[in-house]
Amino acid sequence: MSDLLKFSWQPELSRSTMIVSWNDDNSTLGMKIADYLIKKLDGRSFAEIDPVDFFSLGTVNIVNNVVQFPENAFYVCPEQELVIFKSPPPNYEWYQYLSLILDVARDHCQVQEIYTINGMSSLTAHTSARTIMATFNSPETKRLLSGYDLAGDWDFQTPPGGRRPRMTTFLLWAAKRRNIPAVRFWLPIPFYLAGTEDPGAKKRVLDFFSQRFHWQIDSADIEQEIRRQNEKLARIRQNFPDIDESIRKLENNLRLTDEESQKLGSEIQRLLTENEI
Amino acid sequence: MGIVFDREPLMQKPAMVASWSGIGNIGLLALETLRAQTQAEYLGEIEPWDFFYPSGVMIKGGILEAMEFPTSRFYHKKYGEKDYIFFLGEEQPPDSGWKKGYRLAKLVLDVAEKFGCGRIYTLGAAVAATHHALDSKVWIAASDEKLIRELKSYRNTVGMSDIEGRGSGSITGLNGLVFGLARKRKLDAICLMGEIPDYLSGAPFPYPRASKAVLDVLTGLLGIPVGYDNLDEMGHHMNELIESIYNKFPQEMKGRVEQRKLTAQPKTEAITEEEEKWLKEHIDELFKKGESGQ
Repeated sequence: MSDLLKFSWQPELSRSTMIVSWNDDNSTLGMKIADYLIKKLDGRSFAEIDPVDFFSLGTVNIVNNVVQFPENAFYVCPEQELVIFKSPPPNYEWYQYLSLILDVARDHCQVQEIYTINGMSSLTAHTSARTIMATFNSPETKRLLSGYDLAGDWDFQTPPGGRRPRMTTFLLWAAKRRNIPAVRFWLPIPFYLAGTEDPGAKKRVLDFFSQRFHWQIDSADIEQEIRRQNEKLARIRQNFPDIDESIRKLENNLRLTDEESQKLGSEIQRLLTENEI
Repeated sequence: MGIVFDREPLMQKPAMVASWSGIGNIGLLALETLRAQTQAEYLGEIEPWDFFYPSGVMIKGGILEAMEFPTSRFYHKKYGEKDYIFFLGEEQPPDSGWKKGYRLAKLVLDVAEKFGCGRIYTLGAAVAATHHALDSKVWIAASDEKLIRELKSYRNTVGMSDIEGRGSGSITGLNGLVFGLARKRKLDAICLMGEIPDYLSGAPFPYPRASKAVLDVLTGLLGIPVGYDNLDEMGHHMNELIESIYNKFPQEMKGRVEQRKLTAQPKTEAITEEEEKWLKEHIDELFKKGESGQ
């Protein structure tokens, strides 16, 4: 076993599922879902990756006066046979880092499926249904999940000189080399909610997991969050006709001007976070 | 992590030529020209994922079909009775501490030793106080004096330590690392570096004039004739681009660089630190303007 993997204890699992969460998307949806599941399902950490080879440690960040340090921790929710890995994306040695995650998955947790979740800012309205766009690491994985209403018929090729693939895509590839089914979820999030919360997207993903693995998750709190947010947004639309007009355009698949987009994003974020409504 | 061979032919004391991308892609372009013209056959490659980040991805119908990485490939050519191995590294590992570079260099030399190579050549760039209108010289360095004497018999070569009598110098990157490690393994090692003007060393385009100069010396050493039509054509296009950029240099800087053309054996000043800073700040902008002028 690598010196870079530190176990505090070893959970006994026979057929587990792993969720890998990197906070590398602007909505941090994956991280929010991981935190929610850890809290809701009494997740306990059992192992971590030593960050020394993977992160730039010469500087530490301070957020709201609190010092930050990269967490690279594995959690387990034993009853659900769920393993969650949380970390920021590493700065260096991606392949070695992924190999450690997959060592834990295969050799210590008998992981059968791996999921990674990202949100992406989208020109959609919050009133539209949340969809899950999926990328599968093999045709077999796609077949395995064919009955779960996942949008998975899309093509993409990195253009010459285009942006390098993200860690999540690299994870799918590395898992495939070890014959572990892996899926990446992309959830379009209304861009004006990306900076705050989109409980609707969170609920959509949790519904998938409940359906797939029959986890009994009481998500009444999220449903309440969705209701509250929808009510707030309805009041905002009533009180601010220009915001209402912009959202209406999105609902009708019409383009917003740059100015309208910018205003909608900043105003909604301000109004939702400042509780002015 | 390892090397995957497509085939393992028997070879008679082959020579290996290795190059990676680098300044002006001088070595790599020279070697790629040689590989293409000799129709050298694919031999194998170094598995990339432990050295490089992925460079591209292909998804079809929601399924991850392929992930692309920079390649590090070996080719083989039998020319007459002689065997040659060509190694082309599309990128150098993104590793400031050179641990990965060191491991990669060792793998390349493992292949050289596996097939019984007696001599290894590496090809790269020499950043010089020269002018883009002048022919590039080829700076040479080798693992021993005897090889230096052999190399100096070729036209257009100059000992790296003889440049302005400076005595010592350095070769950065994998083209230098493999060269040094080859000597450590007691292989005959030769490094050929094509001159590129200092003011173009940060430019994001190749410098075929220097590639041609390197290839000319290399093919003389290997005894393999090649044609230069492609390099000449590419050089012509690049020269137009370089001229359009050069014409936008500050007048004072341009005037000083122009003087380089007037001295047969340049004992010229390098560009100043301020000029280097100016170039770094403007190279993208210059390149874009140059490109749009084509």
